Amino acid sequence: MSGKTSKHEFRSNTLPALVTVGPVALLLLFLVVAPLILVAVMSFCKTDEYYNVVYEFTAANYTKLLSVEYVKIYARSLLISFVTTFICVLIGYPFAYIIARTKSKKKKLLYMLVIIPFWTNSLIRIYGWRSFLGNNGWLVKLLTLMHLADGSAELLYKTGTTILGMVYCFVPFMVLPLYTAIEKLDGSLLEASSDLGARPLRTLIEVILPLTSGGIFSGCIMVFIPCLGYFFVSNILGGGNTDMIGNLIERQFKSANNWPLGAALSIILILLTILLVKIYQKLGGDMDSLGV
Amino acid sequence: MKKRLSVLASVLTLAVMCMTGCGETGAGQANAAAGGTADDKGELNLFVWTEYLPDSVVDKFEKETGIKVNVSTYSSNEDMLAKVKSEAAGAYDVLQPSDYMVAQLIAQGMLKELDFDRLPNFAHIGESYKDPSYDPGNVYSVPYMGGAGAIAVNTDKVDLDITSYEDLFDPSLEGKLVVLDDFRAVIGMTNKAMGYDLSETDPAKLALVSDKLMELKKNVALYDSDSPKSALISGDCYAGMIWSAEIAMAMAEVPSIKVIYPDEGAYLFFDNWVVTKDSPNYDNAMLWMNFMMDTENMAMVLEEFPYLCANTDAIAIMGEEYSSNPAKNPPADAIAKGSFVENLDSDILELYSDMWTKLKE
Repeated sequence: MSGKTSKHEFRSNTLPALVTVGPVALLLLFLVVAPLILVAVMSFCKTDEYYNVVYEFTAANYTKLLSVEYVKIYARSLLISFVTTFICVLIGYPFAYIIARTKSKKKKLLYMLVIIPFWTNSLIRIYGWRSFLGNNGWLVKLLTLMHLADGSAELLYKTGTTILGMVYCFVPFMVLPLYTAIEKLDGSLLEASSDLGARPLRTLIEVILPLTSGGIFSGCIMVFIPCLGYFFVSNILGGGNTDMIGNLIERQFKSANNWPLGAALSIILILLTILLVKIYQKLGGDMDSLGV
Repeated sequence: MKKRLSVLASVLTLAVMCMTGCGETGAGQANAAAGGTADDKGELNLFVWTEYLPDSVVDKFEKETGIKVNVSTYSSNEDMLAKVKSEAAGAYDVLQPSDYMVAQLIAQGMLKELDFDRLPNFAHIGESYKDPSYDPGNVYSVPYMGGAGAIAVNTDKVDLDITSYEDLFDPSLEGKLVVLDDFRAVIGMTNKAMGYDLSETDPAKLALVSDKLMELKKNVALYDSDSPKSALISGDCYAGMIWSAEIAMAMAEVPSIKVIYPDEGAYLFFDNWVVTKDSPNYDNAMLWMNFMMDTENMAMVLEEFPYLCANTDAIAIMGEEYSSNPAKNPPADAIAKGSFVENLDSDILELYSDMWTKLKE
């Protein structure tokens, strides 16, 4: 290759690349990297008597997080997210399997059923659940009609209600990656398995699950991580009785007005997320399949 | 490589120039709009609570004065403070902070003194609402509306004769209360129930309060500041401590719901009009404040938002339905017995915040 052509290539590639990628890079720099650095710096700051952030070094925000209450709230958030993820797999897998393997015209309809709820704001849907489960709601009316309740049932403001709401919000995030994985499954392998004498259960455990484990992994990560930071479901359906990490962070930036502590809590959540993604990669997860 | 860097640098510079350029033209246009014609009366930037100032009143002011009013809203005092600090100086002319936040704004030198020669309608304000503890002598603020963290009870569902905050800790109310999702209100109420100050600062006493809060934890089903009346109306909760005006709205839906002002003295709040230190439209701000203290205009507000009103002359023209409703117009002795939240030192506030976290762990 002569020098002249390479110079020509440089001209033709770099400037267009800068013009197209540059603005995005700038945007990311200003709107993602800079705020993250600010959060990290703020987490080591103090507050003055009017609760303004003072840029003086302290590690107190982090040592505070070691106290029992905070550890308990973190542990509970992890537990609720874990249970939510588990239920999402249980519900999402059969559903995704049916959508992916069905040959009928209903496939499109089933797929739409997963997408349609996204057309309504999730906050509104969660408020919908609250009126549905409340004592004036249809569920209690129905139970009363069937003589299973006597006009009132305590369905709201429990940890179980929070999990119900979370599962409801996150099932689509489980179904979509599972669908992609199951769709790719080669049908002839299932036939081979049965030809060789395996019962359906054995085929499921030894053929189908291992081949779709990538989808299960990415579904789990897509449900588990946002679950950790979700706060309005536990506020609305759980009654705000039990905090999750998200509630704790929200309060520090609002009523408690302790931004440095809120920043420290956020940093811990970010580190936890990075850790989970690293584990996911170590287990052989594919980062591309997270971009559903 | 060097060339690449220089290209990158020039793109960056261009981008930055674009941004600042845009900013300047934007500001220029705004100035042109504000300073436009000779008979232009300028503008006024209000920063107020959500669901607290009817549009009809703002329209009336614009029509009467020719001033262009821009309204922005907030839903917590802390949000408002953060926003005012982060915006350019003078972005807002008039704010609507609650009692303790007025004191904080004064202490931080963020307010401008009021010119009472231009506020003749201040005469309509009731004597008991003048000279408040958070702004002695009304140097910086005039009162707007307020209310109490009062007790709501559905008498069809609760047999207990509730007269005090203390009664809400009764074991018979397990899982049946709705309280405000506000730690100063709930901890303040517990302080009161134990016979302490609403804004108690003694750490030894607060340790006892923290234990007492654990009793309350069993009774509370729902923490809600946005629309606590809903859970009472639906019957999911039977009693609670919520804003008095919310109780008024719940009473209109379910007649068996009653309002009770606690024996210990209620937690009170009061919102006020203030002018920011760097307000570029001070004259218009004075016109606005005087307009909002006019009896007719204040009655227009009360029709839509039935809060406790400082304008006693406006209450007089509201008629029986408003003045005889104890949830809309709390009785004078309940107000006299109640107290406002006070600003806490940051270490005590942190203690409150920790107690709240423990309550919700």
